[in-house]
Amino acid sequence: MPSASPSTSSGRPTDLVSRLSSSDRGVRLRALREVKNQIIGNRTKKLAYIKLGAVPAVAAVLADASDGPGPDETCNLLVQSAVALGSFACGVDAGVQAVVDAGALPQLRRLLSSPDEKVVDSGARSLKLIYQSKLAPKYDFLDHENLQFLLSLLNSKNENVTGLGASIITHSCQTSAEQRALYETGVVQKLVDLIGGSVSQRDASLESLTAIIKNNYEVTSKILEFENGRALNLINKFIIDKSPRTRLLACACLIAVRKTSSRYVEDMGLGLKLIHHLLELLEDPGQVGDEASFALSTLIEEKEDLQKLALEANAINKLCIHLQNGLSCPKRFQGILLALANICSKLEICRSKLLALQAFNLVSDALRHDCTDVRVAACICLRSLSRSVKNLSAGYFVNETVIIPLLQLLHDPSIAVQLAALGAISNIVVDFTKHNSNFIHCGGVKQLVELSMAMDPVVRSNSLWALKNLTFLADSKCKEVVLSELTASSLATLIHDPESVVQEQALALVRNLVDGCVDSIDYVFAENGVILDAMGRQLQCASKAEIGIQGMYALSNVASGSKVHKDAVMEQLFQHGGMNAQPFIMRFLHSNDNHLRTASVWVLLNLTTFCPGAAGRLQRLRNAGIISQLKSMVNDPCLDVKLRVRTTLGQCMNYGDSTI
Amino acid sequence: MAQVTFLVKLIMRGSSKKVITKEDWEKKLNDVKIRKEDMNKLVMNFLVTEGYVDAAEKFRMESGTEPDIDLATITDRMAVKKAVQCGNVEDAIEKVNDLNPEILDTNPQLFFHLQQQRLIELIRNGKVEEALEFAQEELAPRGEENQSFLEELERTVALLAFEDVSNCPVGELLDMSQRLKTASEVNAAILTSQSHEKDPKLPSLLKMLVWAQNQLDEKAVYPRINDLSTAKLEDPSIS
Repeated sequence: MPSASPSTSSGRPTDLVSRLSSSDRGVRLRALREVKNQIIGNRTKKLAYIKLGAVPAVAAVLADASDGPGPDETCNLLVQSAVALGSFACGVDAGVQAVVDAGALPQLRRLLSSPDEKVVDSGARSLKLIYQSKLAPKYDFLDHENLQFLLSLLNSKNENVTGLGASIITHSCQTSAEQRALYETGVVQKLVDLIGGSVSQRDASLESLTAIIKNNYEVTSKILEFENGRALNLINKFIIDKSPRTRLLACACLIAVRKTSSRYVEDMGLGLKLIHHLLELLEDPGQVGDEASFALSTLIEEKEDLQKLALEANAINKLCIHLQNGLSCPKRFQGILLALANICSKLEICRSKLLALQAFNLVSDALRHDCTDVRVAACICLRSLSRSVKNLSAGYFVNETVIIPLLQLLHDPSIAVQLAALGAISNIVVDFTKHNSNFIHCGGVKQLVELSMAMDPVVRSNSLWALKNLTFLADSKCKEVVLSELTASSLATLIHDPESVVQEQALALVRNLVDGCVDSIDYVFAENGVILDAMGRQLQCASKAEIGIQGMYALSNVASGSKVHKDAVMEQLFQHGGMNAQPFIMRFLHSNDNHLRTASVWVLLNLTTFCPGAAGRLQRLRNAGIISQLKSMVNDPCLDVKLRVRTTLGQCMNYGDSTI
Repeated sequence: MAQVTFLVKLIMRGSSKKVITKEDWEKKLNDVKIRKEDMNKLVMNFLVTEGYVDAAEKFRMESGTEPDIDLATITDRMAVKKAVQCGNVEDAIEKVNDLNPEILDTNPQLFFHLQQQRLIELIRNGKVEEALEFAQEELAPRGEENQSFLEELERTVALLAFEDVSNCPVGELLDMSQRLKTASEVNAAILTSQSHEKDPKLPSLLKMLVWAQNQLDEKAVYPRINDLSTAKLEDPSIS
């Protein structure tokens, strides 16, 4: 295709980039301006120029210009190169990386001390844009010099420079030590003063105050007491400001305060007010509206009372209307799904409300969305909705429109998506009304088994979790499918996984597999009892109580079976760890963990029920000192333990243990 | 201003419908004290926001009212606005970038509208080939990023399909009003970037006056202002 003459005087990008390194300063300046005007606002052009190596070239112009002749021309070169670097970093991760890699940060920082106001402006603006990205290097507030430099920024008369100071705080302040250091240097005082400044200063300081307050009780209480609550009064004033951005930032700041300080936790009036403001901000068509739902999520997560208030404020309706109208912005879509997930995470009335609005299909459709974050949010929302016996029993989740896309997400290239999908699957496979066959029919078990061999330990653990839930009170057909797909030897390997979270879930899966009818106990005897043996060996060396609990309940289920089963459990109790080692059950009976003691006593209770061979087993337990240990536990502080111990000892009396 | 303050007070009181004579009304109006400085600020706010830099300068000297913005920035802003109004969009973009590079980098919608205006100007000047190339190179990627941009782009490119644009359904894109629309969008964005409100306060005050009068009509018969340009109090007509 013949190319038409270019619409600008510029020429091609490659020529322009080479002209950036021209020895003629005039040529360099014109090329710089041209590149700058092409890339501002234009993501495609930015990426194209970054590929051509324009960023190091521009950084070199910036570095050279500092010691060139002619103040006007020098200033212009400094300004144009700083602006170009800032634009490369604006909204493009690769650009931020390239600017940082080109070593431009110290150069830009030097511009801040220029006598020329325009140079200072451009340096400060560019640095601010860089610090708005997660990829910018972390600023070390614990370094004294850095802290002083930051203060000098905040004290500046130049609005762009104070804005930069606030952006650095928002970007880098994370730990409580950093928050304290900033507070102690007087940064908070400065920020509170800036709230009274221009719109951009006010917004920047509200955002950085939030970063300083977040999860830091000590600093938050000091800020609340600051000048008789001046800071808080100011922030409160801005939740009804004219600018939606300011309102959102003020809300976010108050949410951080509310989550940190107990003084405000009880204040339901504030909670309701914030919910109303955020729902109103949700209607903003721009970025503010996109972010409002995230703030709402932060406010109500894990807070049942606020979730109820949100329901009463018609939040579910409002969020669902957005879903129904279709959302072109992925960020907004994600935010709304997460907000719905949070509202529905605890209360059945909220879930019913969402389902009544016919929004279920909109959520499940989002499982197929192009954007990773939206798919994750849809999974999280489904998980919240499926935390309900009522909804599970109604079989909403086990039809093909939900299961098939969910199972496809298990192959997603993103681990975050895989984990979110596993989270949803774990809930929906819990079988209350035998809907499970559909899940198995769709190949669900096969895929979960595949993921149980994944590289990522959390993926392994969560897929075992899903299998565990699938086999919870399941019929033998379902269990057989799981075991034949997984195989006994693989399950034994998983019991010995290097990661304790995986070990725990593998043992929990065994526990559910052998629960129920006596026949199912035989599963642990498959392949020469490889599973049972793995359990015994794992329990002998288990360090975490959680592993012991799952393992002992699994053993106790096996011990509830026939004589053969009980004898096999006895073997496991005594055969590991050599002659002189203490049996693991003794260690568990001494544990501080109530559940672990309970599970261990259950094993003994099942081993000593009236049944052939009981006397022999009792003798062996007595010889190992286990019965006398039990006797010392008749007044165990845990009621469960106390009750089972007494039942067990009562059973032992049947075999003539007169010492009881 | 006195009228508005007074009206709002009356509405709040919620009195039953009664007749207020012009004499009484004026007496009451005289009781409402409005500071001259506030009136001046209102005028200055209007001049600055609307960009009447010479008038603002004169008014500053005559009334001693300080503008809340550097008057030099008004000149820059007006130059950008004028460039768009004259169809020199590329020039306008360069000027905005010189003024503050963040404006177009953080405002995709405005950037798209300026590029769209550039395309419109190319089409207006009959540069079909160049227009097509520009649409493909510069605008199509924006359309991929945003569905509503894509729709606007399609509407704009449709201009090329008609021989006689005066008779085409998207012909209004070539109207002067389209340039004015784009120019005012740029103007507003520059004002916002300068921490200044994008609309002057005076028109909202007049809107409030109209609203307040409408509210009061239900409760009282009083000397209304019907002609906003003269602010003449009409005699209450008793029917």
